Amino acid sequence: MAEPGASPAAGGEASRGMPLRVDAEVVAAECEGGANHRLRLAVPGWRGFLPGQFVMLSPGALAAVPRTDPLLPRPMAIYRAPGDRGEIEILFKRHGRGTALLAAARVGQKVGLVGPLGRGFPTADPGERAVLVAGGTGIASIYELGVRIRAAGGAVQVLLGARGVDDLMGEADFVSAGLPLRIATEDGSRGERGLVTDLLEQELRGDAATRVYACGPTPMMRRAAEIARGSGAPCLVSLENPMACGFGVCLGCAAPLREGGFALVCRDGPVFDAERIEWAGLP
Amino acid sequence: MGGSAVISRPELTPEEVDPRVDLGGIALRNPVLTASGTFGYGTEFGPFLDLRRIGGFVAKSLTLEPRFGNPPPRIAEAPSAMLNAISLENVGVDAFVREKLPALPEGVTVVASLFETEIDRYAEAAKRLSGAPRVAGLEVNASCPHVKSGGIEFGQDPAVLAQLIRAVRRATSAPLLVKLSPNVTHIAEMARVCEGEGADGLSLINAVQALEVDVERRRPVLANILGGLSGPAIRPIALRMVWQASRAVEIPICGIGGITSAEDAVKFLLCGASAVQVGTANYLDPGVAGDVADGLRAYAARHGFPRVQDLVGQLETGGR
Repeated sequence: MAEPGASPAAGGEASRGMPLRVDAEVVAAECEGGANHRLRLAVPGWRGFLPGQFVMLSPGALAAVPRTDPLLPRPMAIYRAPGDRGEIEILFKRHGRGTALLAAARVGQKVGLVGPLGRGFPTADPGERAVLVAGGTGIASIYELGVRIRAAGGAVQVLLGARGVDDLMGEADFVSAGLPLRIATEDGSRGERGLVTDLLEQELRGDAATRVYACGPTPMMRRAAEIARGSGAPCLVSLENPMACGFGVCLGCAAPLREGGFALVCRDGPVFDAERIEWAGLP
Repeated sequence: MGGSAVISRPELTPEEVDPRVDLGGIALRNPVLTASGTFGYGTEFGPFLDLRRIGGFVAKSLTLEPRFGNPPPRIAEAPSAMLNAISLENVGVDAFVREKLPALPEGVTVVASLFETEIDRYAEAAKRLSGAPRVAGLEVNASCPHVKSGGIEFGQDPAVLAQLIRAVRRATSAPLLVKLSPNVTHIAEMARVCEGEGADGLSLINAVQALEVDVERRRPVLANILGGLSGPAIRPIALRMVWQASRAVEIPICGIGGITSAEDAVKFLLCGASAVQVGTANYLDPGVAGDVADGLRAYAARHGFPRVQDLVGQLETGGR
């Protein structure tokens, strides 16, 4: 049973790098069709990140943002850090007031940033075989993971899912990075018609030696975990629970564990061994 | 009538202003603390804030035994506010003393918050915490349901509150603050009860009991149904209660409720608080409490007050 309020075990590479609290500057802001948006941020003092880590973003400079509606910053996966020059990219969907304000940010605007936060994905084994399965905004959490596993000599298959082509994010980036890609949309407007977890089932086919990495809506991750278990394959999931702080003090992002008690998605995750999660207790 | 004249004082530099305050026997380098439940055990803020920039922090409320919280969803947003129903998850008194306190840098002022479900357990927790090195004072969280009185909050019944504070006062000689619930009709009465039983100071307000609804699912947003509302939305309620309590008692008051800036903190001082606690704003910006402390001193300087304490109770209510 996890100790209430316990700190995570000393986390190797995942504990590297102190998070920043800074005003980042928007250097590029693009609408990518539908509700999909991309922000590129120049972050003073940025020292890199691990795939799976995230930042908390406020729609304005920390000292100046009106703390009205919404009150809270928004957790956002770090999509990638192009050019290694202190800039990061955020890929997200406009679906509420917080994301609408971020989507309206213009070049030159300041955005309050706290991060990188969380423990990220563990370092890939050299030469490992990996299937990365992501749906919706979960796609933003796995791009850099795929790039790094392949750079370490691993074999990567990426599976992306969306309701329709308008919801699909980042396809061109995965293609230009040369990551093998299959797509499923629920309405069949892009790739194969169906769920991305159907593709996972076809890819795994009982293969226990492939590692599954999943990020997306809870039902998608839960199904991916079931499919992996059925194949005897290890499965890591990156959870997306709502959170207020992102660094382990609001205790709002608790995820129930099968061993009993809760883990904090922000501090102990967001990446977890899927077998530890008590899926029925996740909202 | 021309209205009352605000006395014009010569402007000072921030360095000329004395920010120190004595909060019921707790010596603070400035009046800005952070509120229990919003600041973990202090160490979480290490990357963002030098804890010696602020007066001190009130640690997460502790029980005798470690305690798990509620199932999710535990938090929800509302305009200028958030709701939480964490249910006081904590590591327990002993782990706090053994592991959390030694992990803090020297020179950080720590107030330990405690709660329990029965009076004798409150007293035991107070005794253990007041013996711990580094604990400058205690804050009794009186907003918890009392098992023996059928689950009503200790802080909602003056007789039960009196019993509680009397028992804790007997158990410790450490500086003792009582954190009051806003979910009462007469806050002044609760304040007087605590003063009468020997509390050294009052902290108010705790979160306001609230409910938020998901209309699509026709369900409460929180798994616990009810939660505590915090953030800027509750600030005017808190200011009202601090003002009422400060007129009812002599002991110092620590004002809490939706503080996000130095200006907000000034409002609490003007309404009679000797110190303040920054709460929910720590989630939005983990360095904000340091900025509030600096800004408070700058405000006093700009308005010519040689001590930040000179602002306390200076709300001008007559002669409009």
